[in-house]
Amino acid sequence: MTPDAGPREAALRVTNLHKAFGSLDVLRGVSLAAHEHDVIAVMGASGSGKSTLLRCINLLDIPDAGEVHVGGELIHMGFDRRGQRTPADPRQVDRIRTRLGMVFQRFNLWSHMTVLQNIVEAPIRVLGVPRRRAMEQADHLLRKVGLYDKRDDFPAYLSGGQEQRAAIARALAMEPEVLLLDEPTSALDPELVGEVLKVIDDLAAEGRTMLIVTHEIGFARAVSSRTIFLHQGMVSEQGPSRQVLDEPRSERFRQFLSGGDWGRSALTTPSQSGENESP
Amino acid sequence: MDLAIVWESLPRLLEGAVLTLEITFVSLLAGLCLAVPVAIARLSHRRILWMPAYGYMLYFRGTPLLVQLFLVYYGSGQFQPLLDQAGVWFLFREAYFCAVLTLTLNTAAYTAEILRGAIIAVPRGEIEAARSVGMSGLLLYRRIILPKAFRLALPAYTNEAVFLLQATSLVSIITLLDLTGVARIIVARSFEPYKLYIAAGLIYLVITYTFVLVSRRLELRLSGHRREQPVGGVGSASGR
Amino acid sequence: MVTLDLHGYGWMLWRGLGLTILVGLGAMALAVTFGLLGAWGKLSRYRAARGLAGTYTTVIRGVPELILILLVYYGVPTLIQDLAARAGHDLRVDLNPFVAGIATIGLIYGAFATEVFRGAFQAVPRDQVEAARAFGMGRALMLRRILLPQMWRFALPGLGNVWMVLIKATALISVIQLEELMRSADIAARATRLPFTFFFAASLFYLGITIVSMVIQGRIESWSYRGAQRG
Ligand SMILES: Nc1ncnc2c1ncn2[C@@H]1O[C@H](COP(=O)(O)OP(=O)(O)OP(=O)(O)O)[C@@H](O)[C@H]1O
Ligand SMILES: [Mg+2]
Repeated sequence: MTPDAGPREAALRVTNLHKAFGSLDVLRGVSLAAHEHDVIAVMGASGSGKSTLLRCINLLDIPDAGEVHVGGELIHMGFDRRGQRTPADPRQVDRIRTRLGMVFQRFNLWSHMTVLQNIVEAPIRVLGVPRRRAMEQADHLLRKVGLYDKRDDFPAYLSGGQEQRAAIARALAMEPEVLLLDEPTSALDPELVGEVLKVIDDLAAEGRTMLIVTHEIGFARAVSSRTIFLHQGMVSEQGPSRQVLDEPRSERFRQFLSGGDWGRSALTTPSQSGENESP
Repeated sequence: MDLAIVWESLPRLLEGAVLTLEITFVSLLAGLCLAVPVAIARLSHRRILWMPAYGYMLYFRGTPLLVQLFLVYYGSGQFQPLLDQAGVWFLFREAYFCAVLTLTLNTAAYTAEILRGAIIAVPRGEIEAARSVGMSGLLLYRRIILPKAFRLALPAYTNEAVFLLQATSLVSIITLLDLTGVARIIVARSFEPYKLYIAAGLIYLVITYTFVLVSRRLELRLSGHRREQPVGGVGSASGR
Repeated sequence: MVTLDLHGYGWMLWRGLGLTILVGLGAMALAVTFGLLGAWGKLSRYRAARGLAGTYTTVIRGVPELILILLVYYGVPTLIQDLAARAGHDLRVDLNPFVAGIATIGLIYGAFATEVFRGAFQAVPRDQVEAARAFGMGRALMLRRILLPQMWRFALPGLGNVWMVLIKATALISVIQLEELMRSADIAARATRLPFTFFFAASLFYLGITIVSMVIQGRIESWSYRGAQRG
């Protein structure tokens, strides 16, 4: 999958990314490259920094060190008056973000807008696409994710699976160069997982460049071209998905893969149960 | 009981009620326009923005409306030469202007506090989703944060509007003939205090609950998109 | 720092402040009383009590404070005189502005305290009540020993808000000539022809009360939350 990496720039290149929250080192030098049409599965135990990695890529979190290139363009970083690392040019960040589609674990649809409004909002307001065109494109996307009949509903009236498909359509409407998906099915009831995976599967077949955080091993094997395993803030294993997933080299990864249960229950251990407890 | 005096006065009381409503709506509207930037400034991380907003909100929420009204209406007299020079003295001579100005400043402070709470309550995820598609700054506020915050703030804001409606009765103290002002004048001439004040009180009651009813309807309509409960509002004593 | 030259009227403001706080405390005590009664009415089994309490809060919330103050101070004595006259007595009733002020403000904020107490009673976990029942406590005993003591900590933040609004509302009773802070400032302002100076000074006094109250409320709240969280 990577032989043509040579002359052409990677769609997304992350180099030596570091991120700490207080004294907690979450990312300790993560590097990866996604070339056009690559589908990379990111795996790792809960709290291993998968979400943080995605959030650092589009700067929802500010990395402490390291570089992010999108389509060859480096996101420039500087320092603010208090010495905090910060993007040198906020406009560049906004621009880069339009080229990276993000699909959140909890969908994060705008609840005061209908599905259709959610999808056309950014193309119209941020990209300046004419309303007519944005609507046409939205209709097309809605058919593709199977939500055409729900276009005028508010998110509160959708099922989780429908919400996530709407969120994917919203991200696609920006025609992003790379799609970042953060555990797109982990907030869904088991019977709804399939419909979302199906949509992502179709996107992969179209040749979309994607970075998918997922715990669905079968799905990763079927859809992703490469898999990386995050452990203790670093990429501890990576390679072609079939190879890596079928013959994991490290003990940790083997444990992770075999303990299907362990991988699942990890969803609800430390980092997330913390959120629920807060009063 | 002889209610003739009430029936006779009714047209004038209603005229007063019209002024009451006018002052209420003008101040509410102007106050809302002022409250939005104040709330945003209050939430800023920059000191030159949040500190003045904080001071303004503290002062206008921490002192009685009556003092504020007197400060503007009578207090401005102390600066007559200055205001004259600036060419605005003729405004401050008008009780109407002073009343609307004070009520606007006052309600804006309360509204800013309501909006601040509502803005904080806008789900982080929805804001991050907006950022992730390249929205920021004013666009982010205008399209995502404020529309959402306004809806969250609506119940509390309805309360604020009711409080302001009642608070306008103070303008009678600086000689305006609002509903209370008319009642007071008629009382001064007729010496029939309880009948007229009760009549005025009933008119206020009717206006208040009509307004509450209408805004609850509006709330329901505007919250068609949402199943969860709005924030704040319940039993929270605003007021002056 | 800017210093306000009060031209020797400073003592008057301080005296006014004293009276304002006095009226405030008196009215607050009354408001708490009315509030407890009102909450009892609203949560009562008796329809009449519920209706009465409901009317009370509805009317108070729908009618401006100023109207109520004028009604109590000027209306009530006249009403009594009229009724007496009809019965053939010639009576002259005058209300003391201090008493009228406390009564009216207390009555008004009793309505707000009613909502606070109602919420607080309802916030006490049901199983506390059930436990009391299980031990054979009667309604009155349960109210006194279980509900009331637990209710307070839920009521405190709300009562703090009521106090802060109430103390500002006392400025209104200057219209019935009670020489509290606002009226004192008014008198001084007229005498010196320095209205801004005195009203501003008065406003700072009120602001002072508000800030002190906020600090105390913060303390009380953190104190009353001990043991309230958890579980
Ligand atoms: N804003 C933050 N402030 C402090 N700590 C944070 C923050 N965000 C994440 N963390 C911590 O960083 C670590 C990595 O979090 P992250 O969400 O990236 O994990 P994850 O691999 O996505 O886990 P999961 O599978 O549960 O989603 C966790 O220990 C988490 O508690
Ligand atoms: Mg995560």
